Amino acid sequence: MKLTVENASFGYKPDAPVIKNLNLSVESGTLAAVLGPNGAGKTTFLRCLMGFLRWDAGRTLLDGEDILGIPERKLRSRISYVPQARGGGTVSLPAEDMILLGRTGKIGLFSTPGEDDRRIVRQIAGQMGIEHLLSKRCTEMSGGELQMVLIARALAAEPELLILDEPESNLDFRNQLVVLETLTRLSKEGMAVIFNTHYPDHALTRAAESLLLFRGGETVWGPTAEVVTEENIGRAFGVEAVIREFETPGSVYRSILPLRLWDGGSAPRNEDERVLAVVSVIFRDYEKAGEINALFHEFRSDVQGRMGMPSGDLHVINVILSGSAARIMTLTDRLNRLGGVRAKATVAPEEGEIRW
Amino acid sequence: MAIGRKKQGKAERTPERGGRAGSSVLWGAGLVLLPIVIAAASLCIGRLGLSPADVIASIRGHLTGGEVPSAVIESTLWRIRLPRILLAMLTGAGLSAAGCAFQSLFANPLATPDTLGVASGASFGAALGLLLGLSLIGVQLAALAAGGIAVLLTVLCGGGRNKRGLSGVVLAGIMMGSLFNALISFVKYMADTETQLPSITYWLMGTLGSAGYGELALGAPPILIGVAILLLLRWRLNLLPLSEDEIRSAGVNAGLLRGIVIFCATLVTASSVSMCGQVGWVGLLIPHICRMKFGSDHRKLLPASVFLGAAFLTAVDTAARSISPADLPISILTAMVGAPFFIFLMRKTEGWQL
Repeated sequence: MKLTVENASFGYKPDAPVIKNLNLSVESGTLAAVLGPNGAGKTTFLRCLMGFLRWDAGRTLLDGEDILGIPERKLRSRISYVPQARGGGTVSLPAEDMILLGRTGKIGLFSTPGEDDRRIVRQIAGQMGIEHLLSKRCTEMSGGELQMVLIARALAAEPELLILDEPESNLDFRNQLVVLETLTRLSKEGMAVIFNTHYPDHALTRAAESLLLFRGGETVWGPTAEVVTEENIGRAFGVEAVIREFETPGSVYRSILPLRLWDGGSAPRNEDERVLAVVSVIFRDYEKAGEINALFHEFRSDVQGRMGMPSGDLHVINVILSGSAARIMTLTDRLNRLGGVRAKATVAPEEGEIRW
Repeated sequence: MAIGRKKQGKAERTPERGGRAGSSVLWGAGLVLLPIVIAAASLCIGRLGLSPADVIASIRGHLTGGEVPSAVIESTLWRIRLPRILLAMLTGAGLSAAGCAFQSLFANPLATPDTLGVASGASFGAALGLLLGLSLIGVQLAALAAGGIAVLLTVLCGGGRNKRGLSGVVLAGIMMGSLFNALISFVKYMADTETQLPSITYWLMGTLGSAGYGELALGAPPILIGVAILLLLRWRLNLLPLSEDEIRSAGVNAGLLRGIVIFCATLVTASSVSMCGQVGWVGLLIPHICRMKFGSDHRKLLPASVFLGAAFLTAVDTAARSISPADLPISILTAMVGAPFFIFLMRKTEGWQL
């Protein structure tokens, strides 16, 4: 399955574009995030994407076929939509019936769901770990429970593409992870998943590709690492943000932290500004030293000095650099990607003139 | 005692599969039998009290072509009581089904069959018919037509592509209702105070007394068709309270589904108003009682509402024609029975939900 958006534009009013000339494509097995400030048009984008709203120009293609030309019932069984769960459902159906509603498009106009439909519902509930909710009424559920039920309802249509509107908003930490883990699992099983989110962190940690929407219709689409950058996030949200890596014993995560409001004047943060930093590298396999040295050689114009501390089978290198913040981040990032190597940059306090 | 009741309540929430299936069959059978039992009892009850033996003798007489009890009994049973009972059952079933569908359609527990102004419109049609001195059939046709026109105007004014969704239609319905109520007042103002005004006023309060086979022949088919379509759509009615995007995402044409529901409910309500005036409360009370007992799944809720509605209105109408020699207007009784009972149920159970 391949979903493509071609030269698409949309605006509620002719002089106020929400999305301008957007091109993107998502294939089976991709998890993609849609980011943007409030009012930038995230939900509008999803509704246009699914054909609930019509693009003013351009089109959405499903395997090369314009979705407006695909019969509604067929289209909706391929693309499934999960709305935002508003605290507590408005319908007091038990979860089993609520999930069964997702199969309505597959049964005849005057029919009711049969044993096959119920079996599929129980199977989906089992995969999502929500069997215990099946007899619980939606009105009595917590936000996290309801969100899982709504995802299950969308999956009951057995779609190839799942589209979710802020699935992890209003949820606590644990439930956010439950939802994100579910999305990750679905994409690994081969489904294409697109979700709106208010959390750039979730895009950084989960999504292979991201779409960033700006107010006024500008868009950026691509691999998440290239889209969710300090500069783009700063510009889109009007904040000064930093992306940092932090380690757990198991891995290194990239995380974004909004520091302060940005008034829209000069660039939120001058990434060309020279800073003084220590990059600490720690690794076990001495074979890696060659690759590490090659990297430092590549950045030699920034390197001010280095000290190595071999200690048994653990090797530590501290390198002092004076260069642009962006370059130092890039160097650290590339060191961490070598495998078996952990690197971290510590930037010196900004007081006074930097002189080595 | 208190502990025992608590336990019972808990068992109801997490019933075992087998127990639930068994008890739901029992409840289903009870609901189907209830209107029949009440209708049979209603044949015997009235100012002319008849024993079940009289009724059975009369039926046997008709079936075998043998002797029938007496001309008075014959006329009371088959010319007066039976059409009235049939009308009560049809109207009760129809208004309950329409109310049930509208509460889900507008995701609003306070929705009634009259939410889109159909009953006000139909009442205006009937009042105008009475003012113009039309025949009973003419009044009925005028009511049907005016009810349909009222809903059509409501949908045209409030519908279309707007961000408010269905709340625009509900607001237009309230406006249309008050517009037609004003027109009814105007008709009453114009009416002759000696002859026409009392008949209009009495008709507006709702009575099943004017029922005859002629009215039923014209009024029953729309109700039966409307209820039958709603019953056939019972699974899809569960989608109604969801947002338009959710309904579409389930592969269902939201506009068409809503349109069919509005059409059926209008057919049912306009036709019942055209036969017996405005009968309040049934469309609100019965679906909520059924929700409290059977939950929100229309596969159970809608049939339950249909049968309980038929039973309820037959019982209330039997009381209305037996209590006073002057045939009490039925809306007075439905409200006096319905409101306290409803409040009692609401406080006893979880309250109203969709």
